Amino acid sequence: MTEQHDSIILNFVVRVLLVPFIFVFGLYVLVHGEASPGGGFQAGAIVAAGLVLARLTAGAEHGESRLSTGVLVWLASAGITIYLVTGIVPMLMGASYLDYGVLPLEWFNAVAGHERTNRAMGIFIVEAGIFMGVFSVLVIMYDHLTQRLSDD
Amino acid sequence: MRWLTAVLLIPLAALLIYVSGDLPDRGDPDAPANLHISPELVALTERDIKIPNLVSAVLADVRGYDTLGETLVIFTAGLAVLLVLMRGPRRADGTRPSANTRSGPSARSRDR
Repeated sequence: MTEQHDSIILNFVVRVLLVPFIFVFGLYVLVHGEASPGGGFQAGAIVAAGLVLARLTAGAEHGESRLSTGVLVWLASAGITIYLVTGIVPMLMGASYLDYGVLPLEWFNAVAGHERTNRAMGIFIVEAGIFMGVFSVLVIMYDHLTQRLSDD
Repeated sequence: MRWLTAVLLIPLAALLIYVSGDLPDRGDPDAPANLHISPELVALTERDIKIPNLVSAVLADVRGYDTLGETLVIFTAGLAVLLVLMRGPRRADGTRPSANTRSGPSARSRDR
């Protein structure tokens, strides 16, 4: 796991076939979470599994070059912040915490031509925050648990 | 000790199997679990949220505060992993402060 072995079959199957499919499927699970089984937790786990697979095949030295721990910590914090701010904005509008019904999002329906309720859009924003948090935390855990192995 | 476990667990299993006959059928709309708050949640989702996935509506809207806590738990777990496993800065002699604490328990187990 700590040294890279160049294998055309492994590189092709993982990097060309599997990882892009896993990423697209994870994003599908995220954006389709309101209409079908899915949501932020599941999508975060799926996309993190795809990135871990890519890092497993790339080797420990090359695996972490794309998304460093600093970027991932920022991403996780941004996800949590999105959730918290989505809760605070309704308080500023005069409603209770996390009451998505009063979020100022009516303009989005006019722009996108949808008929979504404010609450549905609030749910999606929150799910996106959960996705960023779960994805980053899982990848951080993988990076640091394997970093220790490759160090010794 | 194993017979004591069996003496305790076999009557418990018998009791659970006995009462399982009185459980409502799966998906029964008249089951007590489906009569308490579920109709309200279904009506609320259809009236206010208007998304097909009832689970998402309950998870992220009705119980949004609960889900916020869950996400914070996962975030805290990630930070804890970072604090425990992150490699510290190098010292002047090239060793890392965390390397000493790491080799401690393993060196002791090697002596045994």
